[in-house]
Amino acid sequence: MQPNRMLPNRSRTSVLVFLLPPLLLYGAAVLFPILQSLFLSFFSWNGISDMEFVGVDNYVRMFVADDIFWRAFLNALVYLAICLVLQLGGALVVASLLTSLRRGRELIKTLYLLPAVISTVAIAFLFVRIYSLEPVGLLNQLFHWVGLGSLERPWLSDVNTVLAAVSAPEGWRFTGLYMLIIYAALLAVPKELEEAAVLDGASRWTLFTKIRFPYIRPVWITTTIMATTYGLRGFDIPYLMTNGGPGQSSELLTTYMYKTAFTSTDFGYASTISVFIVVECLVAVGLILFLLKRKADA
Amino acid sequence: MITQTAPPTPPAAVVPARPSGKRRRRRPDLFRTLSRVLIMLIVIVQVYPLAWLFLTSLRTEQDFATGDPFALPSSLTWENYARAFETGDLGRNILNSFIVTMGANILIVLLGMMAAYAIQVLGFRLSKLVRGLFLIGIIVPVQIALVPLFIDYSAINLLDTYLSMIIPLAGFSLPMAIYLFCSFYEYIPKETYEAASLDGAGPYRIFGLITMPLSLNTVVTVVLVNSIFIWNDFIFANTFVLSEDLKTIPLGLQNYIGAMGKVDWTATFAAVCVTITPLLLVFLVLNKAMIQGLESGATKG
Repeated sequence: MQPNRMLPNRSRTSVLVFLLPPLLLYGAAVLFPILQSLFLSFFSWNGISDMEFVGVDNYVRMFVADDIFWRAFLNALVYLAICLVLQLGGALVVASLLTSLRRGRELIKTLYLLPAVISTVAIAFLFVRIYSLEPVGLLNQLFHWVGLGSLERPWLSDVNTVLAAVSAPEGWRFTGLYMLIIYAALLAVPKELEEAAVLDGASRWTLFTKIRFPYIRPVWITTTIMATTYGLRGFDIPYLMTNGGPGQSSELLTTYMYKTAFTSTDFGYASTISVFIVVECLVAVGLILFLLKRKADA
Repeated sequence: MITQTAPPTPPAAVVPARPSGKRRRRRPDLFRTLSRVLIMLIVIVQVYPLAWLFLTSLRTEQDFATGDPFALPSSLTWENYARAFETGDLGRNILNSFIVTMGANILIVLLGMMAAYAIQVLGFRLSKLVRGLFLIGIIVPVQIALVPLFIDYSAINLLDTYLSMIIPLAGFSLPMAIYLFCSFYEYIPKETYEAASLDGAGPYRIFGLITMPLSLNTVVTVVLVNSIFIWNDFIFANTFVLSEDLKTIPLGLQNYIGAMGKVDWTATFAAVCVTITPLLLVFLVLNKAMIQGLESGATKG
């Protein structure tokens, strides 16, 4: 008897009846496409002519010959870093501050989560206006007022700022979500532990680093994984705001893959890039688990 | 807290020095005030853009083009909303988003419960493996499915249909749902099932009469969390849907970018306001349940 079997008598058919439909959908939408991408990545195909087997040519082209790929990969890492700082850093700060508030916590949680409910297309529209120079948008006006007029610029057409400018909205959008999760974890830290530490003369900072943070570490690992995988698959906002431009300055792997597939209709090479994106996600998750879990054991 | 002799915390350090006794007594209040100010600032950063969006949708075009973006509108007008409804088919878009969200949610909830029931309650030899297979889906980026599904859909004539959006949206949300249902089913005591079995109920009746009704809270969580993502989905809709009749809200909004990239901004912002209203209302009414759902999604792990 299996340890997790709860029903004493159930037939093999009944297991299949319950398991097959979900497996079918999951297989059709997720598993099979992964295999198909893997398969396609060894072919050259534009969707119309015959498929041509090219072996590892696509991979060689990607790693050796394609500068845009590397540019997009580096951009994606910067994009990820900005998202992580805004989302996890912002979430941790606000969640910690929130626990010291006496009133209004619920209201702030709701307000803070508001951007997460709004569609990326709406957010892209909104931020195009916020960044604009002509007519002057919110950001440039703000700089003008605080006397930093020299910083005024068209944020989305300046090659030096465009990547940060398309990353910030994504970070902004989900800070509230991660704040909620971390806040819930912080509330679960036993009060006796905190009080004992305070009696021992711990400062707020030691209280945080020695008691609270170690206690919420499992949740921190989960949120880091969530934020990282979402950051690596980020697509909508850069695609809608700049479509990777100007030039390749805000091109991410995802937008590059999308354009390769649906503008250049190079399905084989696009699949190679998307295989790389999946591998990148798996490696990132493995790395996070390895680094954060090992620290916890030490 | 009053007697603590710890080194000054960073926020306290910015304050001009005071007699130490007084300062020690005041510090907790100061910390509290500073955190309050900081929280207010961050909340303003989070909420102000949305308030600005709404105000802009009520501005006259002239006011928007020339005025100070922070200023209050000089006069309020509903004209932008009239133009927004003329330019696009907002009602149609909302209806389409509703159909896709409902369809995907029904699949996710039903199939999610079934899979969790098979894995957690019925049990079978490879259940751990199957569970792992599903869980991988949580971290797989959706972009991997775009090219293959596009090819498969065009082979079986499924491009440009509601199903072409519903299938991947449901498929990629299924893992999280299964995970949530599984972690809930773990807590249903074995005795509940044994009692029902002794009364002669088979696996199908037990699923329908015990497991499904008990899952109601988890169903609410799953539906609320997934609805946000499905309602706002852009990438699948943008890839698989071409005809105006099937466009969901995110695609409909794109119609407001006119030829040569010229945008009627005030009308666009009015359209944005109209389209975010349904989900925003649901969110504000159900925000307690939704917040609980989002929290439980991650903290249960």
